[in-house]
Amino acid sequence: MKALQIAATGMAAQQMRVDVVSHNLANMSTTGYNARRADFADLHYQQLTRPGTIAAEDGTMLPTGVQLGLGVRPASVSVVLAQGSLAMTGGDLDVAIEGAGYLEVTLPDGTAGYTRDGALKRSAEGLIVTADGHEVAPGIVIPDETRSLSINASGEVYAYFSDQVQPQLLGQMNLVGFTNAKGLEAIGSNLLRETEASGPPLAATPGQDGLGTLRQGYLEESSVDAVREVTELIKAQRAYELNSKVITAADQMLSATVQTR
Amino acid sequence: MDATGYTTLTRQSGLMREMQSVANNIANVSTTGFRREGVVFSEHVKRLEGAPSISMATATARQVDLSQGTLSGTGGAFDFAIQGEGFFAVQTPQGDRLTRAGSFTPSAEGLLVNMDGHPLLDDGGAPIFVPPDIGPVSVGQDGTMSAGGVPLARIGVWQPVDPMALRHEGGTVFNGGEIEPVDTAVVLQGQLEDSNVSPVQEIARMIEVQRAYELGQSFLDREDDRMRTLVQTLGK
Repeated sequence: MKALQIAATGMAAQQMRVDVVSHNLANMSTTGYNARRADFADLHYQQLTRPGTIAAEDGTMLPTGVQLGLGVRPASVSVVLAQGSLAMTGGDLDVAIEGAGYLEVTLPDGTAGYTRDGALKRSAEGLIVTADGHEVAPGIVIPDETRSLSINASGEVYAYFSDQVQPQLLGQMNLVGFTNAKGLEAIGSNLLRETEASGPPLAATPGQDGLGTLRQGYLEESSVDAVREVTELIKAQRAYELNSKVITAADQMLSATVQTR
Repeated sequence: MDATGYTTLTRQSGLMREMQSVANNIANVSTTGFRREGVVFSEHVKRLEGAPSISMATATARQVDLSQGTLSGTGGAFDFAIQGEGFFAVQTPQGDRLTRAGSFTPSAEGLLVNMDGHPLLDDGGAPIFVPPDIGPVSVGQDGTMSAGGVPLARIGVWQPVDPMALRHEGGTVFNGGEIEPVDTAVVLQGQLEDSNVSPVQEIARMIEVQRAYELGQSFLDREDDRMRTLVQTLGK
């Protein structure tokens, strides 16, 4: 009886949806987190009678035939690339990206990672790093004597010193864009990695090529919408129950068959 | 042999198929762009040797319910929903296919593709190219995509020339045979069409199928009793 397996695929799909929702809710306060959404597609169809079969009795062509679906499968978990709201922090090294770009960081294995988490820090060596200590490209060094920092919308980093009136330009922060940002691979810790699907990184100065600008003293909050997620959770739960009802009904039909003499 | 068994058997196996179709509809209750399916029973008459003909039931055809599903807003620039009739056309290795699942993404090559990586076709049947870094793309109700006031392409809305030719293929795509453009359809941006499965209707159908099946089984039981009694009576 295939109804059992079909309902099982439905339950598995809804379970995955709950997984995605719980991951979103768990990351409700993660800086720069983008909500994920699970998408589903129906499975292939079993052809009991192919459409267009010639009926044996009278030679007419069956216009539709009988095809029975075999359930559902997860098709993708896609990223909802909506801008999160900006929260003011006042931190010198807190930068929010207003637009579609990413900051590039150097991972411990030497490859590049990308992040929208702009809660940056100064390492012991004076480098600008992420909260996890990954160096932010292009490796701007903040001198020890720096009194305060200023990062403007186009990514220029200026340092103010006690003994100088004029600020000194330390470097230029870049933003990186992707043709298909949804194709980036999430590797945890707010980091993303380039894939075949995302296309190569396209670096640009903030404000150019539609990549967005930087805003110092702000952080981008998670784009998770709690109300939406809870609605999604309820929908998933109800759909799960519906599928389990199908399993019960199919089981009762089976048991009727078995009990027949 | 008595034909009762056969008649009931055809009905029972048809009900099993219907149960399978209910299960598939419910499993796809949250599949974007899914169209519910039903099974149609028809009478199957067979001539018997030296006896009157018997009528049986077979599930011979299936129907795709093309009614509109509810729309849910996603805000995605490349999420489209069709209001009214018609389908998006996507290019697959097996040929052009129709779908109502309007969730697309620009691929690394700059083509607008669906979740399975099949390119979306414009009103002329050519894949839609979205140049990188084009800025925000807006789509008018007639399907015209533009960026910064410059038209890029027009999303094609299609329908099969022969409505009966529509076949489900999995992955929410249909094989429509020969297709033609629809002019009246309205394309909405930032929306996705949900599955048009109505849970209440499906559960009602499921209970109906289940009860009908149980009725058939108890009928078989009673028929068996009748024959048994007959044999016993005659054997005395």
